[in-house]
Amino acid sequence: AQKLHGNRPSYRTADLARLMYDEKLTADEVLRRWQGDIEAAIEEENIEDNSGDEDFFNKAKQEEEDASEDRSIPAYDYDQLATKWSLDDNIELLRQRFTTATLNGSGGGGDDDD
Amino acid sequence: MSAPRPEFLKFTGHKSFTQRLVLSTLTGRPVHISKIRSNSPTNPGLAPHEVSFLRLLEAVTNGSSMQISYTGTTITFVPGLITGAVPGYGAVGDEGDIVEHSLPATCARGVTYFLLPLCLLAPFSKSHMNVRFTGPGVITSATETGDLSVDSFRTAVLPLYDLFGIPAARIELKVLQRSCAGLKGAGGAGEVELRFASQVRLPKTLHLNRSPGKIKRIRGVAYATGVSASNNARMIHAAREVLNPFVSDIHVAAQYDQAPLIADNTEKAGGKRRMGIGFGLSLVAESSAAGVLYSADVVAPPKGGVVPEDIGKRCAYQLLESLSLGGCVSGAATGTILTLMAMGSEDVGRVRLGRDIIGREEVINLARDSRKFGASSWGLRDVDEDDTDDIVVSVKGTGVGNVGRKVA
Repeated sequence: AQKLHGNRPSYRTADLARLMYDEKLTADEVLRRWQGDIEAAIEEENIEDNSGDEDFFNKAKQEEEDASEDRSIPAYDYDQLATKWSLDDNIELLRQRFTTATLNGSGGGGDDDD
Repeated sequence: MSAPRPEFLKFTGHKSFTQRLVLSTLTGRPVHISKIRSNSPTNPGLAPHEVSFLRLLEAVTNGSSMQISYTGTTITFVPGLITGAVPGYGAVGDEGDIVEHSLPATCARGVTYFLLPLCLLAPFSKSHMNVRFTGPGVITSATETGDLSVDSFRTAVLPLYDLFGIPAARIELKVLQRSCAGLKGAGGAGEVELRFASQVRLPKTLHLNRSPGKIKRIRGVAYATGVSASNNARMIHAAREVLNPFVSDIHVAAQYDQAPLIADNTEKAGGKRRMGIGFGLSLVAESSAAGVLYSADVVAPPKGGVVPEDIGKRCAYQLLESLSLGGCVSGAATGTILTLMAMGSEDVGRVRLGRDIIGREEVINLARDSRKFGASSWGLRDVDEDDTDDIVVSVKGTGVGNVGRKVA
């Protein structure tokens, strides 16, 4: 994931500070723009600006928006998470966030079962 | 009345509904919210939980007034003073010091949907904020609609109040009756009692911009309500399978309860039935740095069909995901932290958030809303002490503090 972030020049903190208070954009648009997905999307929109499909898609998007509620816990795709957290690389990366028995003597470091 | 007509802050849409009303009550600015699900063909206007939240606000404040349009798509709300539970203002109970709030059976949100905003008001209340949630709509477990369980709320959100000089030891959350979401995800008939006895003049300025520390232990609660208690052991076993390679200090408590009995007159008069059965798991990872907690919550869906092993695994994965997002605050608690920071004294507080946590719609909306309510803009900068890509958010307090205390 870190690599992905590094490759996108537009995933910058200063940009978010600027975009965040731009009232012309919805929060969703701010995020997509920040993450650099939107540049392509805007061009696409311009091409089929006046086509009849546009209305239809916008409506579908609006409905999606209406159906979503405030959530404290994001809706995850658990199959994806399972694959992500079964990869050794990801586990190794995250392991740095934990105190290990060697660094910290507290709490049953000796009775590790593996 | 000679007072000038207050200026309404205008909002649209149903998102961040509780957050806007909380900000409105704290700052004393009236709001006008329009276009609430106005495009929905099936259920336009306010949802049952939102109406219920308005009733709750009315119960714990003095002088609030609200108008809901005929279709329910527009509402105006003029906030009153936050009084908490005062005898004579609707407080009941043996000692007359608790507000009872009944949730309707159609409520599809967990009780934490109400507790999160209520606890934001509570520190600024005039007297103690004691509220008992009863009725057929109280769901204490996590829900499919994305609410925390009361266990996560108690162990991962309430301790954060300590960081603001609001003693968490004087906040008590009692679960008198557990319940999961009923059929079709609505209703549960649980019972929860919140006693929030730490009212302050002003929350302290928060400086949570240091390293989030390292995770030293994982705690949790597995709950089975009205179903076999062996589900608990199976969930815990599966979660430990995933988490054991990371940390050895894992303790998950198992909580088994009977499902609540409610009156049911459909078959015969005076009949009763059980409702709100189900099971779920709440996990909280504690870091070596003070006040850094990450939580995860998964519950079996009301229609069933998921084995407890899957619930355990999913919860563990969710916890890992939440840890990997980084920062000092997990997603579920950001709203609480940032709002309390904005309400603090006129000093700049700092908090370190993961990049993908600040990059959430709710956070963006909160930033915009709080500015609309008169708070200053947030400052954002990268963390430069280490190689994570967390962001430090600096929030200047507005010095709103406790209006009730100011007068008294």
